[in-house]
Amino acid sequence: MDFTSIHIFLLNTNNVDESITPKGGKRISKEQILEDLANAVINCKADQAKAAAEQALAEGVNPVEAINEGLVKGMSVVGERYAAHQVYLPQVLVSSKCLYAGLDILIPAIPKDDLANSKKAATVVVEGDVHDIGKNIVKTMLTAGGFVVTDLGKDVPSADVAAKVQEAGIDVLCMSTLMTPTMDRMPEIIDLLKENGTRSSCTVTIGGPPTSPNFATEIGADHRDNNAQDCVNWLKAM
Amino acid sequence: MKEMTPFERAVATLNNEQVDELPAYPLACGVCRRLLPGNVTYKEWASDSNLCAQAFVEGFNTYKFPFTVTLEDLSVTAHDLGAHVRMDTENTPFVDGHIIHSLEDYEKIQCPDITKGRTGQLIGMNKIVAEKLKGKSFLIAFLEGPLLTLSQSAGAEQLFMDMFTEPAPIHKALDQTTRMCVEAVEAIGETGVDGMCWDYLWGNYSVLGDAEYGEFEGDKYAKQTNEATRKAGLGLGIHNCSDIPHLETQIKKFGVDVYSLAYYPLVPECPTATKVIEDGYADNCTIFGNLDPQLFMRATAEKTAEETKNLCQEVKTALCKRGLNSHFGIASGCEVPPDLETRMENVQAVMDATHQYGKMEY
Repeated sequence: MDFTSIHIFLLNTNNVDESITPKGGKRISKEQILEDLANAVINCKADQAKAAAEQALAEGVNPVEAINEGLVKGMSVVGERYAAHQVYLPQVLVSSKCLYAGLDILIPAIPKDDLANSKKAATVVVEGDVHDIGKNIVKTMLTAGGFVVTDLGKDVPSADVAAKVQEAGIDVLCMSTLMTPTMDRMPEIIDLLKENGTRSSCTVTIGGPPTSPNFATEIGADHRDNNAQDCVNWLKAM
Repeated sequence: MKEMTPFERAVATLNNEQVDELPAYPLACGVCRRLLPGNVTYKEWASDSNLCAQAFVEGFNTYKFPFTVTLEDLSVTAHDLGAHVRMDTENTPFVDGHIIHSLEDYEKIQCPDITKGRTGQLIGMNKIVAEKLKGKSFLIAFLEGPLLTLSQSAGAEQLFMDMFTEPAPIHKALDQTTRMCVEAVEAIGETGVDGMCWDYLWGNYSVLGDAEYGEFEGDKYAKQTNEATRKAGLGLGIHNCSDIPHLETQIKKFGVDVYSLAYYPLVPECPTATKVIEDGYADNCTIFGNLDPQLFMRATAEKTAEETKNLCQEVKTALCKRGLNSHFGIASGCEVPPDLETRMENVQAVMDATHQYGKMEY
């Protein structure tokens, strides 16, 4: 499974044929397939996510609809349960893995022309810090939110981050750190984005326990949030 | 009230006795290397028992800390289990090469010889510190607990997923990391320090619920390390700088003497110092907290003093309402950043402001 560049797109599905063509074996309704996709994520069943994704394609379900109304819906349920302390990080991480198991099958089935208008996001943990669980959850939520996500990784030199934003035409940069000493890498990256002329076209969000909205303002970032879902909601509302 | 020595103040606080003033202890550990002559780098400090110990001694000589917590970093035990630790010249060492790549790898983990490697070095450092500071500052050794040791070795994300899907081999690995911690604390008990502080970071409701924390640390493994700590004649402490710590388990159920916690004002469920005291967690345990470590890098000395004054007043009010004499130390919620940019004058500002505003009247 390749986590470094995963594509998922929220597209208009109105022009898609709603009928489902059986291809041998037992016919399954679209609603059932979408439910199966959601339940696979909720119940942490990667094999079921793969099977349901394959079934969706076999039955002619629009892959974008399968993603949004199946996998993403399931991940949203997990996110709500996590926020309510009904489930904890291990389950969120495994659910996320199941989401990607389904995406790996559904994304290649999306027509390439439909991908052009999606926003490009990048996630990164700044140089000197290797704590990347939070960053990985942001990556998952961004992906589920319809962004084309490039994960730059952890402990990434500031110059490399700025160069990648420029090279890939990144629209949204999400930076994270867990530690106080490495917070200064964040303004450093923003300065480098200004220098290479990409800051005005790239929305910058920050996260991690030591950061705050005041710090975001101080360093010239656009946003700071407590959790991944709220951050993605903010980005989508922009 | 007669002015106490730092050690007298520490002991009185631990016993919830009356004190002249609240004890102040910013968790100034690696940053104290900057008090040594010769521009000692972080890498040199973290690699040499003598230099490391001398820095803690200089920290006491300079600031008269009532407590001294001999934290190096959180990769000590993982290093000795075989994880690759990157040691930059002026950065806290961290694991950049994990040892778990498959479920079978959990079962390959074996308790190493704790008298060697970085754990052995840490034990040696504590011995030197105890020789120099015993009876002057209350000395507390610091080590990663069994689950943190494993997460540092395995990679936290992979470990958490494996906890959910394949817990059995993880328990085999935890048996070994627990054994390592037990052997380490037995050796630390011989060094002359007064207490042991375990980093039980994953007792955090943002990460694990009660059931998960109980299964993977609290019920079995921490029980062993806590008992070994007591058996070694050491006071029992926990440091947990997470945002929503398992206070009920880690303070009340474990019955610890000292608990060090942080405060994240942007996390609604993160308890304030007042809330911790109000809820009875300081009744039988000394709480340390919860100044923002960022103050030491980003704030002026005046701002640091103001924040310290506010915390002193908050704590004094809450202790009085709860009917407690002390049982609280003014500390940073996590280590003072051991960075070259850290402002040493802000460490002094915490000590001075506590001296001024932390006076206790009974």
